[in-house]
Amino acid sequence: MLSTIDDATLMKVATAMGEEEAVKLIEFIKTVDEITDDEIANNTSIRLNIVRRILYKLYDHSLVSLRRTRDPKTGWFIFHWKLQPNQLEGFILSQKRRVLEKLNVRLEYEKNHDFYCCNTLGCKRVPFEDAVELVFHCSTCGKPLSHCENGKFVENLSAKVEQLRKELGE
Amino acid sequence: MPKRNDLEQKALHFVISTGYKGVLQSELWRELDASSREGSRVAIKLEEKGLIRREKELQGGRWTYRLFPKRMPASIESIADCPCLLCKDNARCDPTTTISPKDCAKLTEWIVSLGKSDPDALGDDSFAQSLDPR
Repeated sequence: MLSTIDDATLMKVATAMGEEEAVKLIEFIKTVDEITDDEIANNTSIRLNIVRRILYKLYDHSLVSLRRTRDPKTGWFIFHWKLQPNQLEGFILSQKRRVLEKLNVRLEYEKNHDFYCCNTLGCKRVPFEDAVELVFHCSTCGKPLSHCENGKFVENLSAKVEQLRKELGE
Repeated sequence: MPKRNDLEQKALHFVISTGYKGVLQSELWRELDASSREGSRVAIKLEEKGLIRREKELQGGRWTYRLFPKRMPASIESIADCPCLLCKDNARCDPTTTISPKDCAKLTEWIVSLGKSDPDALGDDSFAQSLDPR
C-alpha cells in the first residue's frame, strides 16, 4: 500500500513515544524486513530490556507486528518484529482524536466557570462555587481571592481545538 | 528502470510536498528522472487510486496536467508535545474522576505554552502561575 507518511513523521512519532532510544530503534528496523529483539539490541547497542520495552509500546499502537516461533533447541519463544508504517496514519489520527476530546472537555469547563485566584505562586485557582465555600479566601495561603480572567487562555485553547478539528476534517 | 511501485511512492511524496500549489506533470517526471510516458502513467495510476487529483492546464501553448494531493499527510506536529500522548494516568483520566482534563496541571502547562509565541496571549504572569500551581 502506498503511504503518505514520510520518514520525518515516523521519527517525530518515535520521539513522541517518549523513549530516547525509540528513534534509534525505528531508524534501524525500518531498514530491515523482520527482525528479532536480540538482533536489534546487537545492531543498535540499545540494551535488550529497553528494546523490548519500546517494541511493546509500539506493539500497543500496532506500529509493529509480531510473529512468534519456538527455538527448536531450547524450546523458548523467539519474537520476530516488523515495522508497520501503514498503521502510522491511523495512530496519529486516533491520538489527535483523543487529545481533541480532552481539549473539548477542558474548553467547556473553562467557558462555563468563573475562576478565582490569589495570584500567589504555587496556589491553585478555584471555580466560583468553591470560592464561595472558601469565603473567597485561598485555602493554601489564606489571602483573599480575586476574579481570575481566563479569556486569553480560552482563546488559545479554542485555536488548538479548531486546528485539530480541521486536521481531522471535522 | 525503477520499479513502478517505488516510482509511485516517490511521485506521491513529491506531489504531497508541493501542497495546495500542485505540480505540473512535466515537472514531476523530470524530478523523478523518468520518461514523460512513465510520468504520465504514474500520475494516472495515482489518480485511479484516489491519492491525487489531475487538472488540465495550458502551459506554453500545450495542454498538460497539474497534479494536486487529494489529502495532506497526517502530521503529529500539532500534538507532538501534548502531555496526554505519554500520560501514565491516561486510563484513569476522565471528566468525572479526580484525574480529569478539567484541572490537569500538565495539560494546563501545555495550553499555557501554546501562547508563548505570543507574549500577550495569556495576560500577566500571575495568571499563568495561578493556572499552573507547582
